[in-house]
Amino acid sequence: MLIYCARRIMVMIPTLVAISILVFIIIQLPPGDYLTTYIAELQAQGEQVAQGKIEFLRKQYGLDKPYWEQYLLWFGGMLTGDFGYSFEYDLPVSEVVGDRLYLTFLLSFSTILFTWAVAFPIGIYSATHQYSWGDHGLTFLGFLGLATPNFLLALVLLYIGKVYFGTSIGGLMDPKYLQEPMSWGKFLSILEHLWVPVIVIGTSGTAAMIRRLRANLLDELQKQYVVTARAKGLPRIKVLTKYPLRMALNPFIADIGNLLPQVVSGAAIVSLVLSLPTTGPMLVEALRSQDMYLAGSFLMFLAVLTVAGVLLSDLALAALDPRIRLGAGSEH
Amino acid sequence: MRILIGLISWFALTAAGYQEVPYLQDRVHAGELPPIAERLPEAPAVETFVEKEFGPGQYGGTLDILMAKAKDVRQMVVYGYARLVGYDRKLELHPDILARYDEKEGRIFTLHLRPGHRWSDGAPFTTEAFRYWWEDMANNDDLSPSGPPIQMLVDGKPPVVEYLNDYTIRYTWDAPNPAFLPALAGARPMHIYAPSHYLKRFHERYQDPEKLAAMVEESRRRNWASLHNRYDNMYKNDNPDLPLLQPWVNTTEAPAQRFAFKRNPFYHRVDQEGRQLPYINEVIMSLAASQLIPAKAGSGESDLQARYLKFANISFLKQNEELYNFRTLLWRTGKGSHFTLYPNLNHEDPVWREVLRDARFRRALSLAVNRHEINQVIFYGFALEAGNTVLPESPLYKAERDLRWTDFDLPYANRLLDEMGLEWGGDGVRRLPDGRPLEIIIETGGESTEETDVLQLIQRTWLKAGIKLYVKPLQRDVLRNRVFAGQTQMAIWSGLENGLATSLMSPKELAPTTQQQLQWPQWGQYRETKGQAGEPIDMEKPQRLYELYHQWRDARNREERERIWVEMLDIWTNQVYTIGLVAGVLQPVVASGRLQNLPEEGFYNWDPGAHFGVYRPDRFWLK
Repeated sequence: MLIYCARRIMVMIPTLVAISILVFIIIQLPPGDYLTTYIAELQAQGEQVAQGKIEFLRKQYGLDKPYWEQYLLWFGGMLTGDFGYSFEYDLPVSEVVGDRLYLTFLLSFSTILFTWAVAFPIGIYSATHQYSWGDHGLTFLGFLGLATPNFLLALVLLYIGKVYFGTSIGGLMDPKYLQEPMSWGKFLSILEHLWVPVIVIGTSGTAAMIRRLRANLLDELQKQYVVTARAKGLPRIKVLTKYPLRMALNPFIADIGNLLPQVVSGAAIVSLVLSLPTTGPMLVEALRSQDMYLAGSFLMFLAVLTVAGVLLSDLALAALDPRIRLGAGSEH
Repeated sequence: MRILIGLISWFALTAAGYQEVPYLQDRVHAGELPPIAERLPEAPAVETFVEKEFGPGQYGGTLDILMAKAKDVRQMVVYGYARLVGYDRKLELHPDILARYDEKEGRIFTLHLRPGHRWSDGAPFTTEAFRYWWEDMANNDDLSPSGPPIQMLVDGKPPVVEYLNDYTIRYTWDAPNPAFLPALAGARPMHIYAPSHYLKRFHERYQDPEKLAAMVEESRRRNWASLHNRYDNMYKNDNPDLPLLQPWVNTTEAPAQRFAFKRNPFYHRVDQEGRQLPYINEVIMSLAASQLIPAKAGSGESDLQARYLKFANISFLKQNEELYNFRTLLWRTGKGSHFTLYPNLNHEDPVWREVLRDARFRRALSLAVNRHEINQVIFYGFALEAGNTVLPESPLYKAERDLRWTDFDLPYANRLLDEMGLEWGGDGVRRLPDGRPLEIIIETGGESTEETDVLQLIQRTWLKAGIKLYVKPLQRDVLRNRVFAGQTQMAIWSGLENGLATSLMSPKELAPTTQQQLQWPQWGQYRETKGQAGEPIDMEKPQRLYELYHQWRDARNREERERIWVEMLDIWTNQVYTIGLVAGVLQPVVASGRLQNLPEEGFYNWDPGAHFGVYRPDRFWLK
């Protein structure tokens, strides 16, 4: 077990180095750099920037150095916990992300809970009542959620919230609570705003989850041990929850690897439309303005979470399902 | 007359005494702030409300506004519009922070400060602020490696600066410097002063080297200059500790989603009843995604909004007015033209270059545009059907000159093209002199669908003049680089930045002065780089424009400048170097029903204008 973990971690290192190089190359791919974006923005507003000033800034930001040197500087910094400097915010990257992170966690966990709370009962019902009216009807609803464009649903719900409940548009709380310490009023205000993004992001995930649970459960329910258990007169619920449901859960656990980075990047497009103070819009904005250290460090963070998440889910699967043996493939 | 009224009201005020600001009363009682008389300059600037629709207001309230990025905190310096000298609504310059200024021969400027004027932290505002900026910032090799701003240089030479006393300072150049005062009054002003008492702690010359090194280390900056730069920018407004002279000062550190601006207790303006401005105590700037701002403004979540609202939002905004108690005002934008075609006179293909350089060709193209149709179809008839020149609001505007070549006259256009010898081909498209079909590719920056809609309308009418038009959307940077390299035949972009010019403002946009001018990028680059790159001007009229621009810079009085402007506009509009399509497109301005002293009709312009700045938001008040 320990050897297995150690080997996996050793493999993670070259993977992350490769990812970091890729991330850096992709960020540099669009024409220009942060300064050209910045200057274009100023010019769009009619401001002029002197050529000398641009050269000065380029030097100050270290953008005049060759790419490989910029890369080494960034990667070396990350190893020592220095994530670089955000040009856009004029602050170290670690300070920029700040409190957006906990709101993102809150939003993502609420969304995951919502998805599970909806998908679980429906999935089980659909599997146990295959091809019934209920199965078709609920599956249809799920697909409807999958097919509706997220941002459209978001705008419709915002409108309804504003017109019928007087909720301020966008954001995760009423503007007056921003920058305020946590209080009961602020908490209620967050709850009041939270339901829109939770439903919007959740609906798209629900359908997929329902289908997966249904398919897995159906597979298990056909197996002979289930038939035997039933023949022996075990109650229906007990038959269902003792083994088939547990087996059907495997894909959920295998999914943790994907879930972890999602929790942090949190549905960037929807968050952008809803103007949520989460990390997603920040990432999109950083990529757009070629704020390369902010974007790069962010993407690296996501990569680390993905790699760690996959390892975690592998370990969890092994612990939960006795049929899975760690490192079985490599021993032969 | 203005001065007389000012004087009379000033005497009246000193007799009457100033009233304490209710919002600050507690802090004054607690001894945190000196009383009002000690906070104001000895002779504050008095707002006399020359516009008859405006009048003194009441104190109180919070103004909510929306912005998209944390960087937009700088808009409060734009809106606040406390400048050494500032424009009024007629675009005349008046002293504002300055008590007065004298100008001699256009090259000697004596600035008089207001004795007793203080920074927002209470420290005295004296000529030391000017000295610090000039000696320790603008002329410091580490802080300004490229030297002082260009507006401070005439032919590359800096002024002689004399500090006559604590409240008087004189700048003397060898030759006239017409750029000086407009730069001080700009939307992004040239700040020629800085709060030295605060900034010295970051400066190599004044701070103990060890302590400074520790501060640099702690902030993880490269050097002290970068540290100083981080905290010294009065325009960016991103340092809540930096003392300012604006009516409201930032109190929130970035990153944040909501910025609170509180009134400056030491602001230098009072109304005619002796009450210190601004009337509104706090401005709250909340950040939201720019796409959501129209929806939020349209549901009453902003008390004053124009930024991030577009023409297309007007009907939605109008619809919601009553429900959420706000007004949607429609102001004219101040650009010379909303959409303009730029024939590239530096095109790399010699045949095309010759054709594009022929004034008859450009005139024919302009005559073959149905501006009325564009206005009706795309802008609901709200835009001005005009070329790319000054707007009717500008004192330099003359309809018979500025509307030349903007009628829709296909027969005339065809006559001009026939005269040039551009033969018709069998397919209804004319031929170039070397036999190629006359097909023009117009390249766009791909910023909006409006551009392509407009071009599709033009496509139909140009075809009747035998010209085939293709549209090619590009990315903004790519477009610019193609234009600079002479690969683009024609580009579409917005027109002159300043359509509200007066003769005191620089006519540099009409002459080849910078590479950014899409009709003659090479000539502009040649001038910009002093001949190191680009090509020299090889056409008579543009050369004349360039000479006129230089004459304007050396002109010593207003009459001469006006004469030069008129001649330049005459050449510019007659030669049709750029083909303006529509101008003065409306900008929706959402204002809360409670907001007073904001005009129903106005112009919305960056410089001159500073968006709301010329309307002096420190006078706005909430009913």
